[in-house]
Amino acid sequence: MKRQILTSAVGIITALLVGLIIMAVQGYPAFDSYYQLFNYSLFSKFSFFSTLAKTAPLILTGLSAAVAFGSNAVNLGQVGQFLIGGISVTAAGLYIDLPPVVMIPLLIFIALLSGALYSGIAAWLRLKFNMDEFITTLMLNFVAQYFTMYLISGPLLDKELFSPMTRPINKSGWLPDLGGLDSTIIISIILLIIIYFIWHHTKAGYEWKVMGSNEMFAKAGGANIDKNYLKIMLISGALAGMAGAMLVMGGVQHRFLKGIGANYGWDGVMIAVVADSSIIGTAFYSFFFAMIQTGAMGMELETSVPSEFVLILQSITVLFVVASRKSAHLLLNRINILLRMKNIKSGGGIKEDEFID
Amino acid sequence: MADPIISIKSLLKIYPPSTVAVDGVDLVINSGQIHAVIGENGAGKSTLMKVIYGLTAKTDGEIYINNKKTHFSNPQEAVNAGIGMVHQEFMLIPNYTVYENVILGTEPVGRFNILKKEQSRKKVRQLIEEYNLNLQLDSIINNISVAAQQKVEILKLLYRDVNVLILDEPTAVLTPQEIEDLFMRLKKLRDEGRTIIFISHKLDEVLDLSDIITVMRKGKKITTLENKNLSKADLARAMIGRDVVFTVKKDKASPKDVVFSVSNLKYKNEQGIKLLDNISLEVRAGEIVGVAGIEGNGQYELVRSIIGLLTPDSGEIKINDKRIDKLNILDRRKEMAYVPQDRKNTGSAQELSLVDNSIMTHHRINKNLSGARDYILSRRGARDLTDKLINKFEVISESKSQPIKSLSGGNQQRLIVGREFMLSDNFILLDNPTRGLDVGSIEFIQLEIIKKRDQGAAVLLISADLDELFGLSDRLLVIHEGKIIADKDPTKTNKEEIGAYMLGAEAGDYR
Repeated sequence: MKRQILTSAVGIITALLVGLIIMAVQGYPAFDSYYQLFNYSLFSKFSFFSTLAKTAPLILTGLSAAVAFGSNAVNLGQVGQFLIGGISVTAAGLYIDLPPVVMIPLLIFIALLSGALYSGIAAWLRLKFNMDEFITTLMLNFVAQYFTMYLISGPLLDKELFSPMTRPINKSGWLPDLGGLDSTIIISIILLIIIYFIWHHTKAGYEWKVMGSNEMFAKAGGANIDKNYLKIMLISGALAGMAGAMLVMGGVQHRFLKGIGANYGWDGVMIAVVADSSIIGTAFYSFFFAMIQTGAMGMELETSVPSEFVLILQSITVLFVVASRKSAHLLLNRINILLRMKNIKSGGGIKEDEFID
Repeated sequence: MADPIISIKSLLKIYPPSTVAVDGVDLVINSGQIHAVIGENGAGKSTLMKVIYGLTAKTDGEIYINNKKTHFSNPQEAVNAGIGMVHQEFMLIPNYTVYENVILGTEPVGRFNILKKEQSRKKVRQLIEEYNLNLQLDSIINNISVAAQQKVEILKLLYRDVNVLILDEPTAVLTPQEIEDLFMRLKKLRDEGRTIIFISHKLDEVLDLSDIITVMRKGKKITTLENKNLSKADLARAMIGRDVVFTVKKDKASPKDVVFSVSNLKYKNEQGIKLLDNISLEVRAGEIVGVAGIEGNGQYELVRSIIGLLTPDSGEIKINDKRIDKLNILDRRKEMAYVPQDRKNTGSAQELSLVDNSIMTHHRINKNLSGARDYILSRRGARDLTDKLINKFEVISESKSQPIKSLSGGNQQRLIVGREFMLSDNFILLDNPTRGLDVGSIEFIQLEIIKKRDQGAAVLLISADLDELFGLSDRLLVIHEGKIIADKDPTKTNKEEIGAYMLGAEAGDYR
């Protein structure tokens, strides 16, 4: 844990420094730009709430990938599950109108269910025909993209508008606005707590963690691999589906439009990788990436650094965090060997239990 | 007469992060001798050879070959300099022929890179005849015995005309008869003036074969002795650092009712080879039944069938008269403890903590590991179980949350054996439970096995180590080509007889 925090900190600080150099080399006011980046994402109520609104779906797509990767299930279908969750909630929100107390939980249930069913297809294909979910989830992403595109430019099209999108869903399905704070973040935090609990405090979560480390050990120990795998895939899909639904139920649009939430799916995968599939790490990096994405526009406005700069910043953060995780290990080994040699040469000898088997 | 062919000065090898495998070793190998390097597992003998052979880089120190300071950065350079090594794991291409494996890498070619087949075949054939190796040029490696494969490895080196042969535990995979055969051949090579470095931890063999013996312990060279008037006890003392008991003490078994039984178990693989050929056996409460056999004769499939990782074609498996062969793995595990042969792949999750590795299977069976609801894992319960395990089985560790891979092999295995022994007193399935461990851990684990037996457990012990089988078993079965072909009282037989059975001789007197 300590080591995780250390390597993350080293990675992030190095990435920020490299970003600083990149900006300075191009003649931008680097320090001011960073100030503005944080100013527009943290330092006022509005900007902080905007960051949280962006964090909410990222936590869910990130968790979706982290739960899967951490248990050795390669779900790369967050994009598809996200879209299916979004479109299902939209369809339900267009044709059903109930009082909000019933409507909102119903839509949340539909979002979780539809995402789970969609990833469930890939899980079923693996269990029944031994098809690798690495491939099937990726391919199902395209199916979801074209299917939702068809729906919003055909059966669900808002005919009064000129680009493919649906009408807004019924107001009863809108998530409440809490004085400027998008309530989606509350849903994300609740789901985060649930997943954390499952992962660290249940027997199933224990088995998933072991499967992520060594499936054969879990199997020989009596864990039902297929059943666990199915549960993992369903939960992973449900989380991504809920993320998609948030973009319709929360925010301001309340409709499903072309290209909705374009990056959330893959950003989730990236976050899970940077966080090494840890639950808390996923929450942290979701917030971090949401923060720099939110601040980008403000930075462009104030110091005219192109907002695309944060894409570079994101990429080098991923690189440096992952690299520092690996190199910290190598570096510590190297230091250890040097100390050891010194010790031996000075006649210090070796302790008994330090021998390799 | 004896010129130093290899000499090593204060060689040091540290494996990251901080494991000292070879600790400042000085060693001189004279030409024309059989030089044995002995030591326990982890003494550093294999690492030392790998460094000489260029397989792994040294951390510090100097190596002289023929009095010239040399450093091989890969095995090819070593072979070119006349030094060859036969590894524990053979490096052969299984679906190539003997001839193809021998010439691979040094194919003699003429104009336009055309293989000079006749010439090289003749040379290989000559070598086979000269050393009486009894190999066919065109046999496929897959179809020949392990002993024959080892001969191919030696032939490969002879074909390259190496002067120094390093053999890393060559006898581990052989039967007593095959070992004799190998030793004869090695002595002939020595008499021709070649140098042989023989790595082993079996004292009888070393005394039988070698001219010079170097003893290593914990990365250090302890001593180098001429093989004259040496006794096994002398060597053992040097190897271990104290007097050792060669066999663990145990009282006579008093077997009671049949606890575990297998009847008419059959299994064919996809190629139609009978891996389990009508196997029947019984284990009674309070006895240890050993299963000897050359690896690959059905032991693996037998174990996997019992545990539920493999579905046999037919047959029954029972524990206490209850059929278990249709149950899922977890329900079987409620009835039995199982120590697998590979602790890294089946016995543990190397990246995870001691706690995570201690509670496997217990977490579904032991009520103390449940929280407020049955699906909740009690963390306190998990920690308590781990503490108990660490204390009872003397696992040396710093904290419960360190990953199991940071423990030494012996301590990892103590944790695994402990976990399983705390699971069941009923039936215990052991698949090479002490393979690759230090003597201290072997002794500890073997004593625990006997303790379990005396408490009334039925123990089925599958092992490749005849010493272990003779030391522990109350009855000794031999498996050959998927059949049980002998059922012996270990006090009334000897290694030679069992070795003959392992090779398939005198089949068919079981029941």
